[in-house]
Amino acid sequence: MKHSFIALIEDKCTSCMLCVRECPAWCINLDSHTVEVTEEGARRPKKVNVLDSFDIDYSLCMYCGVCIDVCPFDALAWDEHRALTSTNREDMILSIADLRPSGSS
Amino acid sequence: MNRVFTWQQVAPDQWRNKISELIDSGFFYFDFLTGVDRENIDGQADCEVVAHLAKPDLSDSRIIFTQVKSELASIADLAPASSWYERECAEMYGITFTGGDTSPLLRHEGLGRPPLRKSAVLAARVLTPWPGGAEPEIREDGRKVGNVSRRRQRPPGVPENWLSP
Amino acid sequence: MPRYALTSDPRVGVEIVSAALACCTLELQAALGSGVLVESSEVGASPSVIVIAGTVTDALVPSVMQLIRAHPGVKVMSFGACATSGGPYWDSPPVSKGIDQFVEVATYVAGCPPRPEAFIQAIRDLACSEDA
Repeated sequence: MKHSFIALIEDKCTSCMLCVRECPAWCINLDSHTVEVTEEGARRPKKVNVLDSFDIDYSLCMYCGVCIDVCPFDALAWDEHRALTSTNREDMILSIADLRPSGSS
Repeated sequence: MNRVFTWQQVAPDQWRNKISELIDSGFFYFDFLTGVDRENIDGQADCEVVAHLAKPDLSDSRIIFTQVKSELASIADLAPASSWYERECAEMYGITFTGGDTSPLLRHEGLGRPPLRKSAVLAARVLTPWPGGAEPEIREDGRKVGNVSRRRQRPPGVPENWLSP
Repeated sequence: MPRYALTSDPRVGVEIVSAALACCTLELQAALGSGVLVESSEVGASPSVIVIAGTVTDALVPSVMQLIRAHPGVKVMSFGACATSGGPYWDSPPVSKGIDQFVEVATYVAGCPPRPEAFIQAIRDLACSEDA
């Protein structure tokens, strides 16, 4: 496995903020909100976090993999598909759609 | 080759004696000396000074460390190679090595806290908004009405009220 | 300036000057030596690229500027996180937070260090933008 990209598996992310807080480069930005969901048969509704945005600034990221290590739900993973270059520094901030693992679309 | 490393703590007033004793007993290859900031780790507001001496064939190593407040006797006359490391340690950790070379290596005098001490605050960490401070928001009709947690988070290395008077 | 051609596309030629500042330089040399570029004097030398590889401290900024000014018309590649934004040293007072604060950067290459593929990709992109 080439350590050339860190991918986000959106469905697994619970917006727990662990990766954001552990990142030594402060290069992850996460925005989320909470909704109440009532499951059938449950007495009370439960609070669920909904991921609104997840950005990795690849101009800062040092590919240390701390975020991958700390994620309790394996929502972040090494990925090999991209050599990231850009003519513009703002374009190096990738969001959910650009962070999908290779093989998924 | 099988290399043996032995760690040993000594009292600061035994520092010179211990080093001298080791040099006399064949550990006369002086490798390095450095500081370790122990603040906020094991309840000690101290710095540790660590020195590594070895037998010249590197088969046997001794790593000697001691807890210091702010001063330690220099060993530069016993192991001349330590002089550069003591100057570096003085500059980076703010430890005075009495009887040694006190001329600065890199830094100008009066530049504030020694940079490798945990109490030296990196201003960028205070002034840059920390992404980890965000919490999942509670929203009603698309409007933010509060945070899930009331606990205020602070990034590592940023003291509370650093810029407030 | 050493002149190279892309092994996979020998029509693409490039001149490379590298500013060796820190560990990224070693990775750049590894990329240059990995066989994806071959030294060639026959190929046309377009684009000319200066690769800023490594941590740029404030104290080094004048030297880096001097190097870039000594090669007028050259394209600047910001190689790795340090040159691009300060990278792991983003909170360190003596490190400049990205070379785009003082020079125009033609291409940024992400990584710490960037992979050779990323470097080649950047060279290709520069060559294509020259053609266009």
